[in-house]
Amino acid sequence: MTALSAPPATPGQAPSVAVESTTKRRPVSRLGLIGYAIVVIEVVVFAVASPGFLDPANLATILTQSAVYAIAAFGLSIVVVTGGEDVVRGGIDLSIGAVLGFSGALVAVLLQAQLGLPLALLIGLGATALIGLVNGLVVVAGIRPLLVTLAMMSIVTSLTIVITNNVKVPVADAGLVWLRSGAVVGIPAAVVVLLLVFAVVAFTTGRTSWGVRNAAVGQNPTAARVAGVNVNRHIIGSYVLAAVLAGIAGVLMTSRLSAALPGIGEQSLIDILLATFLSIAFSRRLVVTITGTLFSAVFVAILTNGFSQLGVPSQWIGITKGVLILLVLAVAAIRERSVRR
Amino acid sequence: MSIDTRDVSTGTTPTAPSGGGGASPSPTPASTRPRGPLSSLTVRGLGAAVPQALAPAVLAVLLIVFAVLSPSFLTSGNLLGVLNQNALLLLAAVAMTVVVRAGGIDLSIGVAIDLAALTASALLADDYVAWVAIVGGLLVGLLVGAVNAFLIVVLRIRPFLATLSVWFIGGGVQQVATDGGSPIYLSRSSVPDEFAWLGAGSVLGVAVPILIAVLVLLIVWAALERSRWGRVLTAAGEQPTATRIAGRMAGTSMATAFVFAAGIAAIAGIILAARSNGFVANSGQLYVLDSIGAVFIGTTLSRTGRPNLFGTLVGVLIFALLTNGMNLIGLSFYWQGLARGVVLILILLLGVLLARDRARKPLT
Repeated sequence: MTALSAPPATPGQAPSVAVESTTKRRPVSRLGLIGYAIVVIEVVVFAVASPGFLDPANLATILTQSAVYAIAAFGLSIVVVTGGEDVVRGGIDLSIGAVLGFSGALVAVLLQAQLGLPLALLIGLGATALIGLVNGLVVVAGIRPLLVTLAMMSIVTSLTIVITNNVKVPVADAGLVWLRSGAVVGIPAAVVVLLLVFAVVAFTTGRTSWGVRNAAVGQNPTAARVAGVNVNRHIIGSYVLAAVLAGIAGVLMTSRLSAALPGIGEQSLIDILLATFLSIAFSRRLVVTITGTLFSAVFVAILTNGFSQLGVPSQWIGITKGVLILLVLAVAAIRERSVRR
Repeated sequence: MSIDTRDVSTGTTPTAPSGGGGASPSPTPASTRPRGPLSSLTVRGLGAAVPQALAPAVLAVLLIVFAVLSPSFLTSGNLLGVLNQNALLLLAAVAMTVVVRAGGIDLSIGVAIDLAALTASALLADDYVAWVAIVGGLLVGLLVGAVNAFLIVVLRIRPFLATLSVWFIGGGVQQVATDGGSPIYLSRSSVPDEFAWLGAGSVLGVAVPILIAVLVLLIVWAALERSRWGRVLTAAGEQPTATRIAGRMAGTSMATAFVFAAGIAAIAGIILAARSNGFVANSGQLYVLDSIGAVFIGTTLSRTGRPNLFGTLVGVLIFALLTNGMNLIGLSFYWQGLARGVVLILILLLGVLLARDRARKPLT
């Protein structure tokens, strides 16, 4: 399956494909609109069905809710783009949820120890970068990313329990309170952080040679190596970036809950995976993209929010979410077949 | 390998005469080329032997270390207990092996386990006899597999995404069916004896779940390694396009793999229901990541780099012995995940570093 869905990989073609996709190919872009069309339909349906849905405060809530998952999913997207989309052999980071929980917990514990926000953030994000570095080094040594990050998930989860003593760590730092309830010109602080991170990540992956090389490594590592790209450095870099982004998401999560909860990281893994891989429905070539990731995180947040606005019992939300997501994927898969013809 | 070398030699022999009387060009390829494949052959042979021996060696080291640290570890009672506790993980991992062999991955294996357990428990709670509960559980499990097969083969959604969605839906179905996740408890009197025997019985001192798991393992081994179905499945998993061109139905074998795996998972679910006298929502999810881990440990430590049941068994045993040993030596639950992850990474690194000469990388 996966080998089929990958574009024809002749040596030397991979970089040119990546470049082409960012510059040309506008005529077929209508096909890439299906994902966005579904989001618009979703918004319209909820707006009609529930009067409070389009309320600016509610829209801000949706974006705030999606911020944590979107930022972590950006990192996973970079790993997937750089490692190749085959989940079994290629890039995947299962430790990303655990890292999210760990960084939130570490910052909370450091703040409780009266360390001050800047230093706590520095240590917290530094620790996540270290975790990402270990992930990357072991992956480059030749072990499947799936296994490496599964083991790392176990390690980091354990570390989180150790540093929090398996209890909730409350946070009252002024900076994190601002992150939860503050605003910049009317935009909630968490959304500002989301947009900033999105801008930086989208720019570096889409508009710099580093980003293009990342994609080249993911599509055809051999060709990239022949073309002179340091494949290992790009792969290690992608895991470090993913861990740091998960770290930022973890801090946001802690600020949103006003506390670090052990176990929150593992719960968020599945939503992060979803936001990342659903992003293929938002791309013309059915690949994981940063913009697509942002929109799929928002898509999932709208679903959750809209259903609770409508008063749908929570046990039905999971089912409906799953069915709708399958619908999006089925549409995307059918479209892929028609495109290839 | 043999085909490779012959191709090279037949390729060189025509070119050497065509080069004319030039004596200098012909010896150079003749002297270098045979040496290349030959030397790589012997190195590969050595490199292949090392990781193959590594898997049993790792198990032996684990056994020895824990036997030294804890006197009660290396007793038949404890070891049988370990096997009994991990019979369900073994079943889940066997199911996962089939799917991964076919070139897919199944995140919904926990859903098949849970829904089978739920169905069996619910049928027993309604006073149906044991075999109805068992058949009902199996059918629901197979249904999960059929849904996966439909999504992946007919709609052509990628296995990872399709089964992830089924995971969501299955979780929701459990919530709805149990009114928000309240567990089903069966009183001892409402469980037929033969059903309870599945979870707690024993034959000649060996617990029934172990026997079932071993029996399933053997059947699946025969199906994968000794049947045409298994050969086509393996080929389709590694080279779907080539398999299709060769006239084999790659899609069909993928579909059967998912249904087959879900059936095995359903067996695990029924044992789970029998063992716990009821159903607790989402208890099958615990096995998903561990079974994936076990399968890929087996793949990494195997000679062929292909998912195989022996490797999977080793993977399950590594997980099982680690957990049991850490409990026996009294390592705090806080640190167990850390120790487990570190040991896992070290074993895998060792395996990869020893096999470095094979130049086998997961990248390509």
